Amino acid sequence: MAEKKQKVKKQKTKKPDIAKPTVILKEEELSVIGKPIPRVDARLKVTGEAKYAADMEAADMLWGAIKRSPHPHARILHIDTSKAERLPGVKAVVTGKDFGGFKWGWSRETRDEEPLATAKVRYLYEGVAAVAAIDEDIAEEACDLIEVEYEPLPGVFDPFEAMKEGAPLVHEDRKGNICVEYHWNFGDVEKAFAESYLVREDTFQTPRMAKGYIEPPAVLAYWPDSTHLTVIPAKGSPYFPYRILSNCFNLPLSNVRIIQPFVGADFGGTKNDMVSCDFSAPMLAKKSGKPVKIVYTQFEELTTCLRRHPMWVTMKTGVTKDGRLKAIQNKVISDGGAYTRMSPLSNFLTGICMALPYKLPNFKTEMHCYFTNNPSSAAMRGHGIYHTRFAGDVQMDMIAEELGIDPVEMRLRNAIENPKPGKIYETINKLHLATCGVEECVEKVAEAIRWEEKKKDERVRGSRAYGIGFACGTYLSGTKLSGHNACAAMVRICEDGSVNYITGASDVGQGSDTVMCAMVAEVLGIGLEDIDIKRVDTAHTPVDPGSYGSRVTVLAGEAAINAAKDAKRALLEVAAKEFGVKPEEMDIKNKRAFVKANPEMSIPWARLVRMACYTTPGMVIIGRGQSSRGISTYGLADFTTGIGDIGTNYSFTAQAQEVEVDLETGVVKCTDNSVIAHDCGFPLNPPAVDTQVVGGAYHPGVGAALYCEFKMDKGLTLNPNLVDYKLPRAYEAPMTQVIHVITNDPFGPFGAKEASEGSTCTAPPAVINAIHDAAGVWIKDLPAKPEKVFWALKEKREKGKK
Amino acid sequence: MKGEPKELKITVNGKTYELKVKAKALLSDVLRKDLKLTGVKRGCLESTCGVCTVILDGKAVRSCSILALQANGHEVTTIEGLAQGDKLHPIQQAFIDHGAIECGFCIPGRVMMAKALLDENPNPTREEVRLAMQGVLCADAGYVKQIEAVEIAAEKMRGGE
Amino acid sequence: MKDFEYVAPVTAEEALSLLSQYKEEAKIIAGGQSMLVVMRQGLLAPEVVVDVKGITALDYMTYDEREGLKIGALTTHRAIETSPLIQKQFRVLSEMERNLATIQTRNWGTIGGNLCHGDPAGDPAPVLIVLGAMLKLRKLTGERIVAMEDFSRDILEVDLEPSEMLIEIQVPPPRPHTGTAHEKLMVMQGDAGIVGVAVSITLKPGNGICEDARIVLSNAASIPLRAKEAERCLAGRAIDGDLLTEAGEVASKEASPPSDVHASEEYRREMIKVFVKRVANKALERAKLEVR
Repeated sequence: MAEKKQKVKKQKTKKPDIAKPTVILKEEELSVIGKPIPRVDARLKVTGEAKYAADMEAADMLWGAIKRSPHPHARILHIDTSKAERLPGVKAVVTGKDFGGFKWGWSRETRDEEPLATAKVRYLYEGVAAVAAIDEDIAEEACDLIEVEYEPLPGVFDPFEAMKEGAPLVHEDRKGNICVEYHWNFGDVEKAFAESYLVREDTFQTPRMAKGYIEPPAVLAYWPDSTHLTVIPAKGSPYFPYRILSNCFNLPLSNVRIIQPFVGADFGGTKNDMVSCDFSAPMLAKKSGKPVKIVYTQFEELTTCLRRHPMWVTMKTGVTKDGRLKAIQNKVISDGGAYTRMSPLSNFLTGICMALPYKLPNFKTEMHCYFTNNPSSAAMRGHGIYHTRFAGDVQMDMIAEELGIDPVEMRLRNAIENPKPGKIYETINKLHLATCGVEECVEKVAEAIRWEEKKKDERVRGSRAYGIGFACGTYLSGTKLSGHNACAAMVRICEDGSVNYITGASDVGQGSDTVMCAMVAEVLGIGLEDIDIKRVDTAHTPVDPGSYGSRVTVLAGEAAINAAKDAKRALLEVAAKEFGVKPEEMDIKNKRAFVKANPEMSIPWARLVRMACYTTPGMVIIGRGQSSRGISTYGLADFTTGIGDIGTNYSFTAQAQEVEVDLETGVVKCTDNSVIAHDCGFPLNPPAVDTQVVGGAYHPGVGAALYCEFKMDKGLTLNPNLVDYKLPRAYEAPMTQVIHVITNDPFGPFGAKEASEGSTCTAPPAVINAIHDAAGVWIKDLPAKPEKVFWALKEKREKGKK
Repeated sequence: MKGEPKELKITVNGKTYELKVKAKALLSDVLRKDLKLTGVKRGCLESTCGVCTVILDGKAVRSCSILALQANGHEVTTIEGLAQGDKLHPIQQAFIDHGAIECGFCIPGRVMMAKALLDENPNPTREEVRLAMQGVLCADAGYVKQIEAVEIAAEKMRGGE
Repeated sequence: MKDFEYVAPVTAEEALSLLSQYKEEAKIIAGGQSMLVVMRQGLLAPEVVVDVKGITALDYMTYDEREGLKIGALTTHRAIETSPLIQKQFRVLSEMERNLATIQTRNWGTIGGNLCHGDPAGDPAPVLIVLGAMLKLRKLTGERIVAMEDFSRDILEVDLEPSEMLIEIQVPPPRPHTGTAHEKLMVMQGDAGIVGVAVSITLKPGNGICEDARIVLSNAASIPLRAKEAERCLAGRAIDGDLLTEAGEVASKEASPPSDVHASEEYRREMIKVFVKRVANKALERAKLEVR
């Protein structure tokens, strides 16, 4: 995503054109979509046949390893690789210098990172060299033999140190260690505060988190010849390495082949961006003339790979006497770590959707992201929005308590109503909604958890207290990106009627392959089993930014539909000639092409296809389609001002979560009383939406609320393993119920919007609000670990005695 | 002698192999690299995530936490040994049918853990299913469908519907 | 992990011979569930690894009313957890095992390996101490018996000579009118306890006075800590809620718990208070059932 810097002109924002909605069929007309769709890749995964990057092999393959810095901030004075090179079994050694000064970054303006550090290292364990050898052990041993002379430098390890006058600079050319800052202003917050019945300011903190996927980064690289590079990386967005490696190795894009294996989840960050192994493996392969494979250890993943930003959100809110929002003013400080990466986008996202899901007439924010000598921060599910949504929905409950308003009622009063058909709701910063189901979501979760009954219950039972918390969330869907972020697809119909669906869109486990195939089957009028999809291979599949920005269903889906329509049109032209009608007078359903006015005039799918292929010599049926909504001419949001649609549409979520608080120890557990209502427009594959919503709420959501936090000491990660860094587990998982709220959005394929990022944003505030409902304490800095809750309870008891 | 490969005789998925392995080789190394059973996943190699879980003499173990030589003379089953030709094991089928598979990375280890549980205890309580699942980390699916899939498979295997 | 010479004896005698031969160069591996972790971290790099897991003769559990319970050192945690004998006679051992790490770890890891690893946060040691367990250690030249209570010397250091091996754990028959319990503070099921407490309470039949109390803490010092002062609070007294609270406070003062990424020293002290009270109460309730 290219970041627009201060100097960019204001984009004129376009109201989306609702006269031309995408395909919306009535539910009864659908054959495949909207029903449980079995995953196309489930069988391969459950038999162990699915191959992930670390499972890949090539003949004569070498193993690579990265040599890493023992200092979080230091100048590199000298690297001596001679001993490593002499070790028997070592076939190549590379250092940062081998990359000829190449730097890369998330956007052209932020190319500040090297594949391997040359002059300076900026975080502990940053890579400085790499080795390829005949086995892993020798590669590791060789790394130990590389001698590096460092001049350690003083460092800064959190934004507050980084922002101090005279603090050491992480990047010499970046004054004040400022990675990115935004200042936005909508309406008049000062006037609104002056007119408010109640004004409240609180500071909230979100933790430094690991992405949490289990599969560590891995890559296999080889050069079929000196001008062609093939890489098999664990990446959710294969077209990023495609472009970046083309730049790095000075190859035309046509010669860079990225083959996507099965990927063990993405979540943003490392798996859709580059890390040292992604550059080192191709360079080592080049030098050694052999394929090179590098598989990170979990330790490397947890200490060097990208993390979720820890953020400090100071939120000031003014409301009317009946609890309606008048103004919000935010101050957001975040720790971007050593390099820019995606921080511009991460920080932008903390503000862009602040005027959702509640009506907000005035909004001001200033966001500052600082460089520190910590591993870099980047995207993660719930990207950006989760931090301020957490603050907003907890503070909403605080205000509700002060005013004596029920938390459900509070949300209903503020919720944006679902626009009537044909109408658009516009926020103060010009986001446009054709649908917004948040009211219905709140009503449904309150009903499902039986709030009216339960709110009267005794909270304390013995040494435990039970409480229910509510929260609402939103997430952008079908991110509109600038730069070449097109989304295209092809549908190829083989002579026997089987179909290849060819797309660059990437399934990292969320089920997009399945849903794409289902859309193609629906449009073509055939069965899911007739569609074949293969993993992305940039040699054959059209370009696509891949799995991030919650865009795959919406944008790749649109491309799928258009490609299928194109192929269908070609076939119907042949059929129409046969029956002496116009193509528009025919349709295909249940694998038969038929004349709409006279359905007995029909021809089976397979026969039609054969007819088309053989009777029209040379006819090859290839449908092409692309998404028009995903590219820059369509209302791009302006990073400097915060104005404009960042999404094609927006999903809405509400969550009700019960917790049990052990009043003596502070241990908090989620109970099975857990409900999430999700407005994703129309659930294309309902069971897949369910799992994604539940998983989104639990892993990054409850994880942040209760368990996950990297503990740091001057750049050193103190808990770099999956037991001391507590990833959420099965025993504690609530059996969450999911309710679908259907709003049929006109801008998504079949009415769909993104599914499940919203719940990553509702779980943290719902849990924190539940703790307060149970035990009367507010935990504003996550995670709400037992010790924190314990001290808060003790303080409350002591205050109570006075 | 240190560094000299040692003999390992091991039965994996019904077939007996005679291999030479380093003393420090982990069982997961041997399964993945020597026997090409990449269904046994490599997650952490430090006993924290459980995706490397296999069945050793009928018991679920983390293959990264056992020296290969300790399996000398023992029987190992991996995910690749579960299906009978084209016919999937009821646990595998339940995971597919119930939509319990997302990225799939934890699934082989999880299914083997479930198999070990149901072989030992054909009628587990939900608590017992949770305890079994506790040993294999997932990052994405929230565990709900996986717990339910194990219960569905258990019922099927007991002869229910 | 550094490479090593590997030997796999099939009898205890063979193992002891090898230990006697290699002395400090050798380290025993049983289930390896603790060993491999430290070896992979580079904290331990023995020249020779003596794999005793194959010594099936040391995998047993026997009980008789006079001698009590005898557990071979190579019995797995899972075997102890699921043994009907243990569940009947020494329920607290099964309960403790159920909360220890994960099923996979318990399937292969052994009680002997766990005890010899000497982790002050470990669960079996405190429970065995309150049960009055003894350990049989053997070397080529003979055997000795050490009280479980005296086995730990320091963090990851136990009273075991390089040429010695733990052979058997001996637990005396359950004392009459005695209740035992164990609990630890977990955030997630299977966690090492932030703190852990094992308690055994013996009541005088007739007047319900506490005849004997044993309280042992884990993760509260550099070794499993017997909170003797706290025990003295209870012994000879009629136990009520206030007394339990007092015992908890005293135990908390006796302890010197660590601060780490999971919890501060202060919080651990507070939790010792809570858990001594909870677990002693549970042991008391169980003892009362035995008195009837």
